[in-house]
Amino acid sequence: MLSTVLTKTFLDRWKGEAIGAMTLILLFLMGMAVYRDIDLAVYTDLPEVFRSLMNIPADADVGALAYGAIYTSYGALTLTSLALSMGSASIAGEEKDGTMGILLGNPKSRTHILVSKGANVILLTGLGSLLLWAGGVAVPALLDVDVTGIHVGALVLHMFLIAVFHGFLALVISAWTGKTSIASGVTIAVMVISFFAVGILPLISGLEAGVKAFPWYYFSGSQPHLNGVSWGHAAVLLAGIVGFAGAAVVGVNRRDLRDRELGAGLVDRLRSHPLTQKVVERLAGSTRVSRIWVKTASEHQGVLIVVSYVMFLLMGVAIGPMYNFIDDALISLADAFPPEVLSLFGGGDISTPEGWYQIETFGLMAPIAFMVVTVMIGSRALAGEEAKRTMGLLLANPIKRSTVVLEKTLAMVVYALVVGVALFAGVALGSIFGGLGMSITNIAATTALATLLGLVFGALSFAISAATGRVRIAVYGTIAVALVLFVANGFLPFSDSLAGLAKWTPVHYYLSSDPLNNGMNWTHAGVLLILFGLLTFAAVALFDRRDLRQAA
Amino acid sequence: MTSNPAILTEKLTKHYGDVKALVDLDLTVHRGEVFGFLGPNGAGKTTMIRTILDEIRPTSGSASILGMDSHAQSVEIRDHIGYVPGDLALYPNLTGRDTLTYFANLRGGVDWSFVNELAERLEADLTKKVGDLSSGNRQKVGLIQAFMNKPEVLIMDEPSSGLDPLMQREFQKMMREVAADGRTVFLSSHTLSEVERVADRVGIIRRGFLIAVEEVASLRSKAIRTVNLYFAEPVDGKVFEPVPGVRDVRVENQHVSLSFDGRMESLLKVVAQRYNLLDITTQEADLEEIFLTYYEEASA
Repeated sequence: MLSTVLTKTFLDRWKGEAIGAMTLILLFLMGMAVYRDIDLAVYTDLPEVFRSLMNIPADADVGALAYGAIYTSYGALTLTSLALSMGSASIAGEEKDGTMGILLGNPKSRTHILVSKGANVILLTGLGSLLLWAGGVAVPALLDVDVTGIHVGALVLHMFLIAVFHGFLALVISAWTGKTSIASGVTIAVMVISFFAVGILPLISGLEAGVKAFPWYYFSGSQPHLNGVSWGHAAVLLAGIVGFAGAAVVGVNRRDLRDRELGAGLVDRLRSHPLTQKVVERLAGSTRVSRIWVKTASEHQGVLIVVSYVMFLLMGVAIGPMYNFIDDALISLADAFPPEVLSLFGGGDISTPEGWYQIETFGLMAPIAFMVVTVMIGSRALAGEEAKRTMGLLLANPIKRSTVVLEKTLAMVVYALVVGVALFAGVALGSIFGGLGMSITNIAATTALATLLGLVFGALSFAISAATGRVRIAVYGTIAVALVLFVANGFLPFSDSLAGLAKWTPVHYYLSSDPLNNGMNWTHAGVLLILFGLLTFAAVALFDRRDLRQAA
Repeated sequence: MTSNPAILTEKLTKHYGDVKALVDLDLTVHRGEVFGFLGPNGAGKTTMIRTILDEIRPTSGSASILGMDSHAQSVEIRDHIGYVPGDLALYPNLTGRDTLTYFANLRGGVDWSFVNELAERLEADLTKKVGDLSSGNRQKVGLIQAFMNKPEVLIMDEPSSGLDPLMQREFQKMMREVAADGRTVFLSSHTLSEVERVADRVGIIRRGFLIAVEEVASLRSKAIRTVNLYFAEPVDGKVFEPVPGVRDVRVENQHVSLSFDGRMESLLKVVAQRYNLLDITTQEADLEEIFLTYYEEASA
């Protein structure tokens, strides 16, 4: 039984892990090829604090740069995301699918199933790590780059541990709550906050030691690719993993199993309360189901609220006043920054409020935030209804398939606009509270470009979802394409011969015109809008053409 | 439009790669009838329904509903149909009423007093979230959804699954009422007793081939009956064998049991001439036996 549950889970999941690892190896190959091509002084002349932030030693060579930039950021985040997705789906996923009962109809315990699921997280993360290790060894050999002194094995071991750590954190939440959304939501929050804390805290004097409170520190803090395995840090992560495993066993055994995942949200509670019943009944009942797009929009409100809140308060309002605290330290260092380096973080002159916002908020976080909501709807809107077998019933009504695609696209646009408004309001207020005097029109222009970029990737996931009817392919496919395009857009300008290629990535049309300083670039907005239109058209055509899938 | 059959398929064929799910299916379902569509698992019933509803596209051949092409006029068709998919799935986070409102909004023109009447007849609780309902109660929401717009053609794939016997009876009544109203029911089912009770005609599909379309009444008249004869004295089984329609004669002293699909009169004549008959019972074959006979013949 143990081996059976393990084998099934493994077979369900190995493709995602393999695709993730192969995409990273491809990025690594691309990164190393570009680094080989350029003058590394742009990196090695950086101020010490930034080199440490980006995992670059003073005498950095091509190898150290490539491993530092690709493996310790994108690589570790990807491997960790895959592990936490497995961890959160483990127990709660079976409950959500309604398969837990039949699984436990066999003469084996809940602990057995939990252990199988946990073993799968370890096994698949191990497989991903092994691939990354093989890629990490093979790529330098292929490109004839000397990587003496780089501890690939140590780096990958640390990556493996941080990924399993988060996987097991998700597992324990999944085991205690039976809810995949809580398990993955909390764990993603831990991962993202800890990733940025480890990046930002060392910049703020007096708070440097605070990084030790964040798990990510025990992955990258010791720079394992340069200094080898830090057994102390590894032991911290391992202790966490063992602790989570124990807690998960206790959790899964002590609670009632859920039949199917049915969250009673805030709206449902208000709906059953006598005071609010009438109004909410109208909103949540008749309004929610009035149109396809309204219903679609009602389905992911939780994520929308969290993302809008994060972008408004943490990435918007809070970032402005923060500028005043670290302003002095940064301005003296600003001259040392070649713009190409910062382009990886979205570019920008860090000594100005606009540059600060660009690096902290707009460069990476804003596109991620928009993609979270647009890709979530894009991938699930069509393929999700097919997987849940409701598409047949929906299309038994007198509506065209194209109407379904367009209505669901409308829901995605509404979500992107909500996040856009939250981001705009947050940054505008942040600028006012911090006394930064940024142009409100330019903030609006930059937010609009970010919204459009998010919609382009959302439409891509729509098109993949429309063509395949499979949620996972749509999600992973879009993330893989986005990852490659973001990194390409960041790296290509470094190389004289390849710089022109950056124009072929949609990401180029987001920040390359420096909209926070220069205002709206209507041509760039037009390019993104046309791309969004083309991908939406493709989604309509692809969905209209094929057989609906019958089941997941 | 009124002269067109409710459902018409011509050489309808659907292949999934090498798998031939439907082969040259020619079928006419008349208006105002309840048509039972029978077949074992994997025979192609659901594929046929999904093809005529334009969920999937035929490899070759064509289908029409009320004279409208199943692909080119699929949206118009859906104005006139009600559909219950097999293995019904609904939106778990919506209540029954939300679900019905959603589909009513997409459809337009639904009379809510009729919806309430249907809910009452099926004893459906529309206030609970669909995900919190048992499968039978969820099925009721699916049925109301299909009946609520008084469609010209009702297409239902295993619609009574999960319903308790009382509800099944009510549901059968509802189907007969639709037919009495001149509208059409296309009922794909495993539940032979149900088909036997409500259907005017049945089609039997096996491995993608439509192997028979018969009126239920004529199917039954062709049915082989088991006849038990009880005599005052021991009898010789050979006496019965020449009678047309007699098969499988088994004799046990004064008791004879035989399978018979001929005219009862000729059998009785032979019996009365020779022996002193004390009692006779006949057991009519149910549709299940007919069904199995068809399968066996088709696979032979």
